[in-house]
Amino acid sequence: MAAPEAVAVPAADTDTARPRPRGLPWRLYGAGFWIAAAWLAVALAVAAGADLLPLPDPDKMDLFARAQPPGGAHVLGTDALGRDLLARVIHGLRVSLAVGFLSPFMAVALGGALGLWAGYRGGRVEWAMMSLADVLLAFPPLVLALVLTAYFGTALINIILILGLLTVPAAIRVARAVTLAVAQQEYVTAARALGASDLRIMLREILPNVIVPMTAFFMVAMAVIIVAEGALSFLGLGVPPPMASLGSMIAAGRNNLESAPHIAFVPAVAMFLTVLALNLVADALQSRSDPSQGAA
Amino acid sequence: MGWRLAAFIGRRLLYLIPIVLVVTALTSALGAMLPGDVAVSMLGTQATPAKVAALQHQLGLDLPLWRQYANWLGGLITGDFGVSYRTGEPVLSAIAQRLPVTAELMALAELGALALGVPLGMLCAARRDTAVDRLVTAGAFGMLSMPPYLLAVVLTYFLAVLWGVLPSSGYVPLADAPLANLRSMALPVLSLALVEWPPLARVLRSDMITTLRQDFVLMARAKGLSPLRILFVHALKPSSLALVTVIGLNLGRLIGGAVIVEVIFGLPGIGQMLVDATLTRDFITLQGGVVFVTLGFVLINITVDMLYAVLDPRVRHGSA
Amino acid sequence: MQVTCRSIARAAVLTAGLILSLTAGAQVRGGSVTVGVEQDIPGFDPLVIGIYDTGAMAAAAVLFDTLTRLDDDGTVQPRLATSWTHSPDFKTWTFKLREGVKFQDGTPFNAQAVASNYRRMIDPDNHCACAFYLSAIARVEAADDMTVVYHLRNPSVKLPALLSPPTVTNVFHSPAAIKERGKDYNRHPVGTGPFRLVSWQSGGELVFERNPGYWRKGHPYLDKVVVRPMRDPNARMAAVRAGDVDIIWHDIADDVVKARADDSLTVREFPASGVSAVVFNLEKPPLDDVRVRQALRYAMDLEAFTQSFMHGLMSPATDPYGPGSGFECRDVGALHYDPAKARTLLKEYGKPVRLRYMVTAEPRGQAVGQIFQAFWEAVGVRVTLDPVDQTTFVNRSFVGDFQIGGWRIIDLADPDPQMYADFRTGSVVNISNYSNAKVDRLLEEARNTADTDRRIAAYCDIARELNHDLPWIWVTNNHYFSIARIGLRGVHKQYSDVVDVADAWWAQD
Repeated sequence: MAAPEAVAVPAADTDTARPRPRGLPWRLYGAGFWIAAAWLAVALAVAAGADLLPLPDPDKMDLFARAQPPGGAHVLGTDALGRDLLARVIHGLRVSLAVGFLSPFMAVALGGALGLWAGYRGGRVEWAMMSLADVLLAFPPLVLALVLTAYFGTALINIILILGLLTVPAAIRVARAVTLAVAQQEYVTAARALGASDLRIMLREILPNVIVPMTAFFMVAMAVIIVAEGALSFLGLGVPPPMASLGSMIAAGRNNLESAPHIAFVPAVAMFLTVLALNLVADALQSRSDPSQGAA
Repeated sequence: MGWRLAAFIGRRLLYLIPIVLVVTALTSALGAMLPGDVAVSMLGTQATPAKVAALQHQLGLDLPLWRQYANWLGGLITGDFGVSYRTGEPVLSAIAQRLPVTAELMALAELGALALGVPLGMLCAARRDTAVDRLVTAGAFGMLSMPPYLLAVVLTYFLAVLWGVLPSSGYVPLADAPLANLRSMALPVLSLALVEWPPLARVLRSDMITTLRQDFVLMARAKGLSPLRILFVHALKPSSLALVTVIGLNLGRLIGGAVIVEVIFGLPGIGQMLVDATLTRDFITLQGGVVFVTLGFVLINITVDMLYAVLDPRVRHGSA
Repeated sequence: MQVTCRSIARAAVLTAGLILSLTAGAQVRGGSVTVGVEQDIPGFDPLVIGIYDTGAMAAAAVLFDTLTRLDDDGTVQPRLATSWTHSPDFKTWTFKLREGVKFQDGTPFNAQAVASNYRRMIDPDNHCACAFYLSAIARVEAADDMTVVYHLRNPSVKLPALLSPPTVTNVFHSPAAIKERGKDYNRHPVGTGPFRLVSWQSGGELVFERNPGYWRKGHPYLDKVVVRPMRDPNARMAAVRAGDVDIIWHDIADDVVKARADDSLTVREFPASGVSAVVFNLEKPPLDDVRVRQALRYAMDLEAFTQSFMHGLMSPATDPYGPGSGFECRDVGALHYDPAKARTLLKEYGKPVRLRYMVTAEPRGQAVGQIFQAFWEAVGVRVTLDPVDQTTFVNRSFVGDFQIGGWRIIDLADPDPQMYADFRTGSVVNISNYSNAKVDRLLEEARNTADTDRRIAAYCDIARELNHDLPWIWVTNNHYFSIARIGLRGVHKQYSDVVDVADAWWAQD
């Protein structure tokens, strides 16, 4: 293999030449990141403005035009109950993004605060937080989600809260780890020497430095939760119909995979692109904030 | 070093107990949120209020929650996990029959992921920044973004229905017919392995890039050792530290993925059992299953921690 | 006629052809059949599980025998019973049992075994959920070793037919095995049937092998039967198309239509009696107002529904009996699609109507639920879907925790048991809490008369009342399907929705 020369000799040079983020080759980082960010922006805009777009009613059934292939009156075809797929995918994207945003937001807000506090204070507080996180993480997450949705019902708000709850322990861990790194820094010691209160230090010195890695975590959590909601749908416990998320549309589209694969593939492609975009952006953010971390 | 390691392991194992207790207590509490359902289910058309109350008393469901939990725990210590309300099957016996299925699924999936991830990771590290590297990394990102359930459906369509190469569902026990067993596990394993190899490849790649820069590799090259030998023998071991961690994390994700895959392909494993138990309010079975899954999960974490301690370069390379 | 070489040759060819045509249809020994059923089977002991669903019945059909069976014309034929008589008032039936039948554990099948089975199920101390379905039976006693007498609380003209399907109350378990195995019996059952259970993986498939001591000489033809629970309809369909299973129970019209076009598959269908229905809980306003219920019916375009979603395989039902019941009711006053009338009635009612519709979380339940929800929303009713799992669905139906739900009347030889249970004031299974004195009277009359014409007239009158009061909305009469690999023969008619392969065999071609 010719490779070792490329590694052994130029490596020393190139490393000092410019700091390169690990994990992704430089060029891919550039183009990929921007394409991903563009897709996310478009998806958000389209989903937010879904009601303003000239789309057919996503819930209107045309029972005699079921499972129509793309083309003609329906740009992307119809689903198994005769509803326009383009409209449904856009509205489904909206629901998925809503769940995918609100759940991690709740998790990061709650878990991030707890983790930050734990990392800063250390001692008993830290031990208590980490034990709490460990216990929640030891619980099989899908089972917890199942039991909670079976008990509380599958209303959208329940799903958001339940998936958020499941993400809290991971948020605690990440926030604590990052806080530990930051809390050692000189400017924190300096602030404390100047007599700043703990709360002030946490808010003004630590929080700004924690935000970027937490944002990366947030985006990864978004991707995971969008996929997890789909998993719940596969067990019949996703968002309640006729509301659809990308995951529940894929689950429903399975029944027609053979005769009308577009019913599953249209939402699948949308979910895939969205999740991929989130992963790419998250990775880029992570590389920027901590070059030694790279992709994990 | 020996007794320190033993103390470390012992401490971690002790940690296991409170976690299992808390988790099962939580399950018990969650399960008990719907007390009437079990009795109503069992009585069906006989479910008059009087009969429901009588059956609840007979099953001990009207006892305070902590009493029920204490009774169950007491039974647990003697090895009695109770009997399923729904099927009358002893829970331990059901778990014993289902655990091998899930264990096989997860083991094969992890092996598959390693079989793909390790070579590809090494390839990327060796051919860093070339077209191959970028292609594989792109592929890795792509697979990371695929839900296992979608992959399962697509693979089923092509490999089972269209080309008829593999069976679309059903499970043949390993003891009965090893070849048929592997065939029946192929699609489920593929659905999981194809999604789990990216983190392995990427972590290995980034770690190996570091290792390959180190002095002892330059020395090996100067000595004239073949590149392959360098890669496999000298570079792989130090890079495996992070790999082991990722495998541990993977296994945690695999548990969730295994549940969905078991449901989709109808494999009679623990995951399917947990889902059924939840949906049919079979709380005794649910609690027993949760104990096992939790135990397994925590044991995996402990093993990873142990391996981490053993492989820690500070320990291995000493101060040299 | 001259016997020439040619004429001999011709005779030989003709004879060979005759022999071939005779043997081409002959049953071939050996082979195995895998049956794909929908639900996992929890067990077979009536005291533990209370009722058999279609999956359990498919297994029960090969494991157990019942007293009688229905042939393809619907005529009752002997099985474990060889002949029967009844008292003039149809309240006492006497069955003569077949001699020389043994359970699969070697113990004899006799009248005492039959009586013991019934005693065990009926005993109030056993709290059997199955006892409800035996409420018509006062007691069953063994007159002698081979004679069983049924003492009924009300006349039953069709008792022999009602005893034929392998339901939880019709099959016979070995009393010795029950005694010996106790709690284990549920998953280690013993019957008199053509196949015995040899292995059962938890949550997996049941494997049956032919019973060498089976009383019916020459049967069964197969060596092995496997019953495999396959909850996912896609997987079931994919499995039968790929040949991984040989026959499946199936209820999805899209797949049935596709299977009909597939040369490697045989579709069998049975237009049965009974109906699937939308159920209203009359104790929850606004469903207590008949105008609201009628409006909801007028809003439903069941013609479009059956033509499109069901591919025209079934038609909308006008009564709960259907073509398989053997009688027809005319002028039952069934309502039709008329959205304008629906809106008028709702305006008359005055107040806005918001309802919750409980459906099963499976794809089929959700799809049908969404279609009906769309019908109702189109006339201005706000409907929220409540998808729940099967167990919760049944529980909530029984305790009345629902507004709109669903239920099914399955195919039985006589409408009495279910109509009485579902619509009699105060019945435990009357989940809509319906109470109509006229209907009560008609139900009693139909139950206590032996005169077939009067019974039919009573049932048709009941249908008229129900079509006016609408505690239930009939959707379609039952139409059962199975999809099998080509070459599988001898599959019985799908009475009571049982996929029965006890006498099946594989054709040589």
